[in-house]
Amino acid sequence: MRRLSLSSRLALLFAACTAVVSLFAGVLFNRASEAHFIELDQQQLDGKLIGLRRALQDVQPAQREARLADELSRQADLSLRITGADGQRWYDSSTQTPKDLPPQIGLSTISTDGTDYRVLNAPLYPDKSDSPHLSLLLDITHHQHFLQRMQHLIWLTVGLSALATALLGAWAARSGLRPLRRMSAVARGISAQSLNARLPEAQMPPELAEMAHSFNAMLGRLDDSFQRLSAFSADIAHELRTPLSNLLTHTQVTLTRPRPIEDYREALHSNLEELQWMAQLVNDMLYLAKADHGLLMPKREPLELADETDVLLEFFAPLAEDAGVTLTREGNARIEGDRNMLRRALSNLLDNALRFTPAAGSVSLRIAELPGAVRVSVENTGDGISAELLPRLFDRFYRADPARQEGSSEHAGLGLAITQSIVRAHGGQIRCESEAGWTRFVIELPRS
Amino acid sequence: MKLLIVEDQAKTGQYLRQGLTEAGFNTELVADGNSGQQLALSGDYALLILDVMLPGRSGWQILQAVRSAGLDTPVLFLTAKDAVEDRVHGLELGADDYLVKPFAFSELLARVRSLLRRGSATPQETSLQLADLRLDLIRRRVERSGQRIDLTAKEFALLEMLLRRQGEVLPKSLIASQVWDMNFDSDTNVIEVAIRRLRLKIDDEFPNKLIHTVRGMGYVLEERSV
Repeated sequence: MRRLSLSSRLALLFAACTAVVSLFAGVLFNRASEAHFIELDQQQLDGKLIGLRRALQDVQPAQREARLADELSRQADLSLRITGADGQRWYDSSTQTPKDLPPQIGLSTISTDGTDYRVLNAPLYPDKSDSPHLSLLLDITHHQHFLQRMQHLIWLTVGLSALATALLGAWAARSGLRPLRRMSAVARGISAQSLNARLPEAQMPPELAEMAHSFNAMLGRLDDSFQRLSAFSADIAHELRTPLSNLLTHTQVTLTRPRPIEDYREALHSNLEELQWMAQLVNDMLYLAKADHGLLMPKREPLELADETDVLLEFFAPLAEDAGVTLTREGNARIEGDRNMLRRALSNLLDNALRFTPAAGSVSLRIAELPGAVRVSVENTGDGISAELLPRLFDRFYRADPARQEGSSEHAGLGLAITQSIVRAHGGQIRCESEAGWTRFVIELPRS
Repeated sequence: MKLLIVEDQAKTGQYLRQGLTEAGFNTELVADGNSGQQLALSGDYALLILDVMLPGRSGWQILQAVRSAGLDTPVLFLTAKDAVEDRVHGLELGADDYLVKPFAFSELLARVRSLLRRGSATPQETSLQLADLRLDLIRRRVERSGQRIDLTAKEFALLEMLLRRQGEVLPKSLIASQVWDMNFDSDTNVIEVAIRRLRLKIDDEFPNKLIHTVRGMGYVLEERSV
């Protein structure tokens, strides 16, 4: 089924509303005029009845017929029938009136052979029980014709006004929705090359401003991710270029002339180091790619964080002792998570902290329970990281230390990105805080 | 000790065979799944090294055939894919170990040796020894040339591992996994530092060095003629 456009939808709704309103008004008017006619007829017939009664009472019986004819001749649309108490027809002013009349006393409306009558039944002598009946008949065909014409007019008005509002509504909706079309035009024009296009939020009506804002924010995020992704691919190529060129150069130089066996051994060893570095890089990148595709699925083992981190502290103890750094842990919490993945995440943080802590400094790991979450922080003393670098720390290949910018250093700069991926795979968050004199990485993991 | 390698990538297969042969194993190499399965079912091998993606028949199918024939030959899988489901699938079918490419040969060799050792139960030892270095497993004591050496618990565990596998090159990742239970690739130099500290205690004062670094591969404990 084809979906209706927003403008058509609005136009149809407008038309329906107008139709309902005008129909309601028309019906009301029709009812009111009908009631008004009935009231007029009643008054007229009541007046006539009084006149007739008087005429029949005051006049000699011989002159009655003439008097009645005289009384009735003044009004052509009025006829009279007098019926005796025994049901016998005593008098009929017209032969064209319907034979059967409604029996009840009072006003009623009948319709026969295309003619409508208002009938007023009343006893001739209201105080006698066996009084003959007077039936006054008023021809109201022209009233009914008028009402019928009114009805036709109402229907016509309903139809025409609905049509008119539909057309006007469609026009109004179309011009009202122009900002939406502008939005879709911008969206149509967006490709990987033009992710920097934005909607003019200030020019949008308030209802759309929020949507435009979300749309712009989405574009912003896409742009950012795309930039990062492009930078990532470029970085991969760049990171691999240095070790590859080392390998090529070294191998070619080694092979240019005969050498003592020791030199070959040395060349192979050197190549091996480059290759191992590259293998580590590729493995780390595959790990991150897995995380990006949501394939990093942590196991849910019940873990005692104090025990887990103590194992890590023991692992790093030789390194800390060597560097003259004290390494401590405080606090405990239970959590469900993947032991190996969390160890890997924390080991990257500890390794990182130990690398940047000067001698006689300290690295402290703190575990704290928050409502519904567990916080693990790794804090080290030493030069802080400047605030503008903090958000970039978790970027792939980002190295805060410019001395280690080039590839083939010991660390590829993927450690914090991997830690972040692991934390996110556990549904948690990581951030870094730093001031002069200390740096702290804070992980918050949901408890279940 | 005969090993079977089923690997369709010619270079990988040849290097593996060369490496394992030079490490003292009698090694056979085939490149397709069908002949691989035929040989594996003969039951002549102490260990199977299978690639997952093979022409004719996958490594998993070979493993299934071997297990349903009632053979419990240890199986080590090599794969370029590192999907969790793959790993789980392999282990469910009865694989004994799993290595993801790119891997280091020293790592493969260490794992092959572990798998082969698993079958043969060594008699309960009370002490381990190399040259004048002696490690008493019961009293948890280490002596060199009759001189008592104090080691931390982890240093003791590290030395015990080196002594048990003396002559074998042990990659850093294997040491991290066996001694500290750290089962992930890490670029930290904790192991180097730990080895250096152990050396300081057991090698530094003696002319005859026992712990040797094999550059780019790992560490080995052995007596070398000076």
